[in-house]
Amino acid sequence: MRTLRKGAPLLALMTAMTMALPASAQDASKISEDPLELTIHFHFRDKYVYSEKWPVEQKAAEITNIHVRNVASLATTSSRDAFNLLIASGDLPDIVGGDANGGLKEDFIRYGLEGAFIPLDDLIEENAPHLKAFFDSHKDIRNAISGPDGKLYFIPYVPDGKYSRGWFIRQDWLDKLGLKQPETPEEVYEVLKAFRDKDPNGNGKKDEVPYFAREEIDAVRLINLWDARVSGSERYGDFALYDGQLRHPWAEENYKTGISNVAKWYKEGLIDKEIFTRGARSREYLLGNNLGGMTHDWFASTSTYNDALSPKIEGFALKPMLPPKTASGQRFEDSRRLRVQPVGWAISATNEHPVETIKYFDFWFSQQGRLLSNFGVEGKTYEMVDGKPQFKKEVLDNKDPVNAQLWAVGAQVPRGYWMDYEYERQWTNKIALDGIDLYDKCNCLKDEFMGVSLNAEEKATFDRYWPSLLTYMTEMQQTWILGAQDVNTGWDAYKKRLTALGYDEVIKMMQSAYDRQYKAAQ
Amino acid sequence: MKQTYQERLHDLWGDMRRDWQLYLLLAPMAIWFALFLYKPMYGLVIAFQDFSIFRGIEKSPWVGFANFVELFQNDMFIRAFWNTITISGLGLIFAFPVPIILALMFNEVQNEVARRWAQTIVYLPHFISVVIVAGIVINFLSPSIGIVNLFLKSLGLESIYFLTQPEWFRPIFIGSSVWKESGFESIVYLAAIAGVSPTLYESARVDGASRWQMMWRITLPCILPTIVIMLIIRIGNLVEVGFEYIILLYRPSTYESADVVSTFIYRTGLQGTQYDLATAAGLFNAVIAFVLVYSANRISRRVSSTSLW
Repeated sequence: MRTLRKGAPLLALMTAMTMALPASAQDASKISEDPLELTIHFHFRDKYVYSEKWPVEQKAAEITNIHVRNVASLATTSSRDAFNLLIASGDLPDIVGGDANGGLKEDFIRYGLEGAFIPLDDLIEENAPHLKAFFDSHKDIRNAISGPDGKLYFIPYVPDGKYSRGWFIRQDWLDKLGLKQPETPEEVYEVLKAFRDKDPNGNGKKDEVPYFAREEIDAVRLINLWDARVSGSERYGDFALYDGQLRHPWAEENYKTGISNVAKWYKEGLIDKEIFTRGARSREYLLGNNLGGMTHDWFASTSTYNDALSPKIEGFALKPMLPPKTASGQRFEDSRRLRVQPVGWAISATNEHPVETIKYFDFWFSQQGRLLSNFGVEGKTYEMVDGKPQFKKEVLDNKDPVNAQLWAVGAQVPRGYWMDYEYERQWTNKIALDGIDLYDKCNCLKDEFMGVSLNAEEKATFDRYWPSLLTYMTEMQQTWILGAQDVNTGWDAYKKRLTALGYDEVIKMMQSAYDRQYKAAQ
Repeated sequence: MKQTYQERLHDLWGDMRRDWQLYLLLAPMAIWFALFLYKPMYGLVIAFQDFSIFRGIEKSPWVGFANFVELFQNDMFIRAFWNTITISGLGLIFAFPVPIILALMFNEVQNEVARRWAQTIVYLPHFISVVIVAGIVINFLSPSIGIVNLFLKSLGLESIYFLTQPEWFRPIFIGSSVWKESGFESIVYLAAIAGVSPTLYESARVDGASRWQMMWRITLPCILPTIVIMLIIRIGNLVEVGFEYIILLYRPSTYESADVVSTFIYRTGLQGTQYDLATAAGLFNAVIAFVLVYSANRISRRVSSTSLW
């Protein structure tokens, strides 16, 4: 703890205020008798830092008597740089947290093992009932974020809700052409062909783009129709679980079938010609100009185009639909929301108050802390209606998105907290909620691969082989889809090359790391 | 006459006392070099370490040449290295002469106003950020709305998705770089041309030389030292290809011809936080560059008696 200077008068005032309140309401969650200041380095989304001025943080300080003072500089426009510079300086504040490009999980664990952050297991066991209860009931999450030594080095941001992306189709185009939502790969083919040929946008030109996607991960999503998977998690090109066996989806036989069909469709003009170059603006451009027919994208944001575009395009209806059945007759959705985000906060080895700090972390997993971190301050952003938090009307009707308003008051920021899906549901469009309902009934999600923590030896194997393997696989994926080479003739050579580049070594290493992390602990 | 080390030092000290004003003027630059170019060289030692930013240089364990071994066992690095040499080599052949030709052409334009206009127009692209240039290139070459493909289609040809085809990457990269930089690079040569003594041209004119002959026999030989110096510098940069522009233009489907050492370093080093490996790659690059510059300089000194040092 550092000496109090600037905040001292304010703190004195706050202490006076809390003392005036009935003692019983406060004592339960007060962590320290005297106000205790902890320093924090917390830079996130490349432009924000933790702030003691956030109403949410002030409320938390009032309840816990822990005052968190930020030391991260706002002058940096990269959270990754801010974090790396902090680590390189060696002078760590009491708490280090936030997010960064690529996540901080591996950093917390790596530098934790090197002695920068302390393991939290014993602290949680003895001092943090809410965290303990959470991890006891979410063993997979605990496993997923443990280090190779089985210890916890950080408290993560835990998202809620199961669904991220789904299939969307222009229902008004289907109706116009007298088609129904496609149920099999053959039907998808027919629908996309009709979109291409029958001028559903009615401008007399053959300019429709039957299937398009905004992100790389969705560009090849159509391979799902032949049972192939794009990724085992929300990370593009991640490993996937096949009945507890870890393999890479891009080395599976069904991937070959999928790519070969997608390449055929690409050649026939059923897939956006510029799918790999159009980038983030493609959804807005293709929907806004009444050109795009079908896509795979995030439920919430994609549904809002219905509101935005229906005044402009008559009858515009972009509806979520169930994943079509695959060639083998199954139905599955490849993507799902991460169960745990690789961000959060950790306690430095130099922190002189680890017990108070873990209690402070614990506070955010308590009922009170969850309400605060999800909905903001009661009476300001939300109110309790029948014992449930309900956003105020002015928050829901504000022209700024609800999440942006919450970030401004310090809620929904990537501290170690547990999200409540209810927060998102309250401002999610009806069409998206219907879509999520549809997917919920289908119950067709695949197991998520939640990542493994590698020890030094495994990391060396991974670093030696994996970057080249991933580069090669991504390269071949595009080469095949764009038609420069044929996957059917090139597959055997591809598999041989993967072996030569060390695919088997990587998979063996990943499997043993996975078994250690997820199976031993059970 | 050989001086001893002490005598030389004594002379230097005498010089400095006498011309201290000049040395004072030199000081800021010398300090800048020491602080920002020589001091960071200390960081190169991490190429021989298993480096962790938390442990720092002092406490990270030494691993000898392990990072270099790893690098050369990686055929993606080898491919990136050859791509770098190829792209720079092609650039040397096709892009290097362009500013010289431009400068000679500007020199021949008689109308002052026309010349100023033409110069300004070719300089301008230099001041456009590479991000915007890449955006322009992507739009121009777009298979559906790009002007190049609209033209191809109007001729009845198939449209080409240029940016996804490895064989097109190098022409596009070098072509657009020429468009962006050659105007600005021609300034050096224009300055050199301006330094050619007018008396040479006058006497040539008296002897009845044509403009063409004057260009070949007077202008070019007079600016040859400048050309050679520029060439040596360029050779030194043979293993450097600006990575920002490549990253903006390449896709996985064009890695085959587009992935260069700097983009390799970016992907594995910065995105994968393997600083030690990235430093090893950078150090290897620098050594190659040094050898190239040194040999180019030697050859040039012997052949044309022009050299950097």
